Amino acid sequence: MIKFEETVLKNGLKVIVHEDAATTMAAVNILYKVGSRDEDIQQTGFAHLFEHFMFEGSKNIPEFDTPLQNAGGENNAFTSTDITNYYDILPANNLETAFWLESDRMLSLAFDEESLNTQKNVVMEEFKEHYINQPYGDVWHKMCALAYKVHPYQWPVIGLNLEHIEQVKMQSAKDFFFKYYRPNNAVLVVGGNVKAAEVFALAEKWFGEIPSGETIIRNLPKEPIQNEERVLEVKADVPVHSIYKAYKIGTRNSADFYATDLLRDILSNGDSSRLYRQLVKEEKLFSSISAYGTDSIDEGLLLVEGKLSKDVSMDAAESAIEKVLYEMTQEKISDDELDKVKNKIEAYMVFSEVNVLNRVMNLAYFEMLGNAADVNNEAEKYRAVTAEQMQAAAAKVFRKENCNTIRYFSNN
Amino acid sequence: MNRQLAPEINLIDSITFPKVEQLKLDNGVPVYLLNEGVQDVVKIELMFKAGKWFESKNLVADFTNRMLREGTKNYSAKQIADTFDYYGANFNTSAGFETAGASLFSLTKHIDLLLPVFAEVFTESVFPENELNTILSNRKQRLSVDLKKNDFLANRDFLNALFGKNHPYGRVSEFEHFDNIFVDDLKSFYKSYYSATNLTILVAGKFPPSLVEQLNKYFGSKSLLRDVPAAPIDYAIESSAELIHHTEKSDSVQSAIIIGNMSINKTHPDFLKLSVLNTVFGGYFGSRLMSNIREEKGYTYGIYSSFASYPHAGFIEIASEVGKDVREATLKEIQREINVLRTELIDDEELQVVKNYMSGKILRSIDGPLKFSETLKGLLIYNQDVSYIDQLLKTIREVTSEELLQLAQKYFDYDKMYKVTVG
Repeated sequence: MIKFEETVLKNGLKVIVHEDAATTMAAVNILYKVGSRDEDIQQTGFAHLFEHFMFEGSKNIPEFDTPLQNAGGENNAFTSTDITNYYDILPANNLETAFWLESDRMLSLAFDEESLNTQKNVVMEEFKEHYINQPYGDVWHKMCALAYKVHPYQWPVIGLNLEHIEQVKMQSAKDFFFKYYRPNNAVLVVGGNVKAAEVFALAEKWFGEIPSGETIIRNLPKEPIQNEERVLEVKADVPVHSIYKAYKIGTRNSADFYATDLLRDILSNGDSSRLYRQLVKEEKLFSSISAYGTDSIDEGLLLVEGKLSKDVSMDAAESAIEKVLYEMTQEKISDDELDKVKNKIEAYMVFSEVNVLNRVMNLAYFEMLGNAADVNNEAEKYRAVTAEQMQAAAAKVFRKENCNTIRYFSNN
Repeated sequence: MNRQLAPEINLIDSITFPKVEQLKLDNGVPVYLLNEGVQDVVKIELMFKAGKWFESKNLVADFTNRMLREGTKNYSAKQIADTFDYYGANFNTSAGFETAGASLFSLTKHIDLLLPVFAEVFTESVFPENELNTILSNRKQRLSVDLKKNDFLANRDFLNALFGKNHPYGRVSEFEHFDNIFVDDLKSFYKSYYSATNLTILVAGKFPPSLVEQLNKYFGSKSLLRDVPAAPIDYAIESSAELIHHTEKSDSVQSAIIIGNMSINKTHPDFLKLSVLNTVFGGYFGSRLMSNIREEKGYTYGIYSSFASYPHAGFIEIASEVGKDVREATLKEIQREINVLRTELIDDEELQVVKNYMSGKILRSIDGPLKFSETLKGLLIYNQDVSYIDQLLKTIREVTSEELLQLAQKYFDYDKMYKVTVG
């Protein structure tokens, strides 16, 4: 149970405080409701590049990191398809330093041309390091394009290509900032050894005067329902064959989200999970296999990814995966197995609350989804899922015409 | 309100450590208890001196450790997995250069049920051959993928250049090593090194005092004591005569770089001060290497330096992945930064930021029992206790630019460093 208090400033900034006297630290998390899904197809990778730019100095402070480090703190950020999230963790008695820094970069950036160019280079190197200079590094680009035809999830957060990043102009950065980085499009959560009243006062002092922006109305193109099996075959200089099967699933707020999420745990969470046990341990068809979800707000993907054992054919490997998946559509999961995945979720949630930074991030995320208080209802929602609901979810998801497959062959 | 003016900073000048209780089981096994948690979770970590240092054949320590969860006298691999998974517990094994062992993360309410299985893994492991063969062939597949990664290759080449292929720190795994691992190797290593005589236990989280009785029941018996073979005295270090090791990869768009040489480890009196110097140089996001090579030049997504410390050796390592076209330029910049470090005093402002950052990092490293237990584990490998952290804090507070300049001249010499590049 994560306790918190909340308020909204006049400019629309949501402020949430979670007191925890057991730590000496304070965690400050600002979530901006903008991600790669808000990008133009001609300028992909922009939201993430912009995240880098947010550290390059603001209106009154030449650089973000140094003053925070000077206060004994550390910070980082990440960008997803849906959000951009910034966090600082520092000794609680230096909390105001984080307010000073975060509020100034919400007020306005320095918009320095040279910094933008440097960060373009840094991000291009990040792109190369993770997506070009890696075996199978291009697979996520290919999968996004295969699975999505109109929705912006058709490109990865890092961007479609290096050129898009190289071509970014300062005016785009300014427009993006003043549209999305406004207090009414953000959630501020502060947790740790702090007092709610003091945090609210600090929020008013540092963020209160920042003008609000336009209300964001998203008109993202809706991905049409997939009605055909899609298969892409790739040959590359990789050492072993690999297969990726991505099934479309519902939105984050769809009714069967929790049942679908538990399917993934049945498939791939621990050594007792079905994919590992049957296909790695018993049939020895794969040297590694896993299932995971994209956890996106709009219609997402549930993926199964496996590396084939030596001398196993792609066809045999693929049918074996399908057999495991289709079995879930045909047979009800036993009470024992259902209890197991629920116990796993329960433990996962308790462990995720050990760290104060995780708690504030979760509060921000659920506030973005609609209501911070929902963070405390998650366990119950998983607990309530029945075997029938899971079978129904499996039947809905694990269909050939709902699947996007990449057969990634080694040409060695 | 003047937004250009930073709020006052409170400096960290003392640290209150969470309470560590130390006791011994009936057979003498040392136990450290960190019972300070808020959430009802517990982590039990077993540490054996059973790392790579003690193996006589490559990969034996690694696979002995990996196979622990693959079957015991009373439980099959399947039953072990079912039990831990059913109660939502995480059971991880890991083997390093010095120690090897496992940790169990569980909700406190399930720990009594899980302990018997957890304990049996360490007292009655049987190493089934069929399970071993599966794990071996899967790990060979993984190696074949890793060998396509430039950073992986650079790391192998670097350790090999520093220590030579006959030293446990320099030995890397080749496919034929996997074919030479047999059940009997693992059983024998297990019998020698996974005994109570060789064990330290760390428990962290929120748990009832009765847990100690349980630990005594499962790990405290004198019958679990066995003579541990004498530790290898020392292995000869056979450093490469060549300082420059480049592997060209025509299809790469980036090069992995690792530069460094042998240095001191944690037991040396200079080590604490040197850790401050390293932080300035390349040890944190605001370091000189990051500021110059990432934030000014944009050559890389990240560049770091560290003084790797192991019980039998230490070395400095500067690592990055950079655009192939700026590989030589990056090396030049690293060389330039080393020269600056050796010739110019660090100015007060820069040093103060590092001191404050490092003090904050210490606070984070002891925040909460789970985090603190990781920090404590790092100390125990060197027979140190939390007073070491106090010393570090004191060193951070007192060290001067003059002292750091001397250390830079002593421990940073580009000309003597190995330069390994792949890509």
